[in-house]
Amino acid sequence: MPTVKKARPMTGSTRSKLITWGLIVGALSAWEVGVRVGNVPPYLLPAPSLILRTLIQNLSTYLQASLITFGEALLGLLIGTCVGVLIAILVTFWPGLEHGVMSLAILVKSTPLVAIAPLLTIWLGFGWQPKVIITALVTFFPVLVNVLVGLQTITPSLLDLFHAWQANRWELLWHLRLPHSLPYVFAALKVSTPLALIGAIVAEWTGASGGLGRLMWLAYTNLNLPHLFAAIFILATAGMLLYQVTTQAEKRLVFWYTSS
Amino acid sequence: MDVHLKDLTFLYPNHDQPVLQGLTLDIPSGQFVAIIGQSGCGKSTLLRLLAGLLHPTQGQITFNGAVSNGRSRIHTVAWMAQSPALLPWLTAYQNVALALRFARNGTPPLMSPEEALSRVGLGDYIHEYPQHLSGGMQQRVALARLLVQGASIWLMDEPFSALDELTRENLSNTLLDLWQWLKPTILWVTHHIYEVVRLADRILVLSPRPAQIAADIGVELPRPRDENHPRFATYVTQLRKSLFHANGQESASNDWFNT
Repeated sequence: MPTVKKARPMTGSTRSKLITWGLIVGALSAWEVGVRVGNVPPYLLPAPSLILRTLIQNLSTYLQASLITFGEALLGLLIGTCVGVLIAILVTFWPGLEHGVMSLAILVKSTPLVAIAPLLTIWLGFGWQPKVIITALVTFFPVLVNVLVGLQTITPSLLDLFHAWQANRWELLWHLRLPHSLPYVFAALKVSTPLALIGAIVAEWTGASGGLGRLMWLAYTNLNLPHLFAAIFILATAGMLLYQVTTQAEKRLVFWYTSS
Repeated sequence: MDVHLKDLTFLYPNHDQPVLQGLTLDIPSGQFVAIIGQSGCGKSTLLRLLAGLLHPTQGQITFNGAVSNGRSRIHTVAWMAQSPALLPWLTAYQNVALALRFARNGTPPLMSPEEALSRVGLGDYIHEYPQHLSGGMQQRVALARLLVQGASIWLMDEPFSALDELTRENLSNTLLDLWQWLKPTILWVTHHIYEVVRLADRILVLSPRPAQIAADIGVELPRPRDENHPRFATYVTQLRKSLFHANGQESASNDWFNT
């Protein structure tokens, strides 16, 4: 007797992925059709197919520029994260510093990026240094604020336990405060990773010898919109990928937080 | 290890009324002491003072005649609270091993984390994370953590009060077994009168703030204790009367007792 194979029901995750990809493909198709039917000139809005062709034809240029920009963004993010975590630890150890440090941090955070970037370019030149500094400046604040909450909001019963064990401040930091603040680090990284790309691009727009920001600036001044959109496409894709990497790392490293 | 409190007074900063005032008490080594009293009377404060989590405003706490301060205190007193206070990023084994790491003082430990977890009935769950364990199992891990410390005084602040009746009884039986095996001095804060009479050697009834010892009742019932023993009910009644008396009330009706 022939056996009948039952179709496996679609899981929630598969359905969600299908919907996401369906929306992306639908939006790109609508864009393509709209540009072709409406005869929109490429210097106003290039069709996705033209953007893709431009990207493929200039792949090595974009790859080289991407390496520079992502390198600056990731280095800046690393420095910003480390500085944010270190300042949060200092403030936790010496609460008297909190008011002064937070005032200074808010001052840095409130100063427009576009105002600082040209100054750094004048002082440090067209190399990677001003971009890394700008990226670190925009990324350290979310890390500082989140990690500070993570280090300071420990359940009183856990603090009692460590105090009953006569733990010193370093033991308390290593065994309790730092692991407890890990979910907060990842919450901050989800915000600061896209900010790192923005920081690097804005800094490159103010003067750079390479990078995606420079390519975008050149394309913008020549009204070469296919090139500009190709760079935007790379940045958007990289932002999504970095977010996914952060989320996956969070699931692995902070498993106890997501599952509890 | 003997515990001696001499003229112990504790006042929270910016408060007028002390929580404890002039408390003097001797607890011989190996005694199972229950501390009972109205909510907020200072039972937990007394335990926190003994654990070194608070410092007396006046008076002195000595263990075997000596003042214990700093790192050595972990070898003298072990602390267990209502919340199991387990680190969620560590397995049951790692949580217990961390306590052992803090308690290590050059001498061989009393037992390994595996042995401690087996003793409390969690031998098959040593690699589980706390969030995968029930409330009762989490408190068992906390009990295993207390065991590996090798301390001779156990301070227990309502450790089983958040658990259901059956789990609480099972855990208190485990605690009784461990006490009979190791004979630590136990100071145990609770609100459960039956449990107190079933487990303790001595019951201290505290008065409302500032806390004084309103009654000091020795329980002289053979172990294992039977709740149907006629003297068991006598102790329960005596304890209830003492509680009411400590709070300035005449006595309670039997209806109230039975609720």
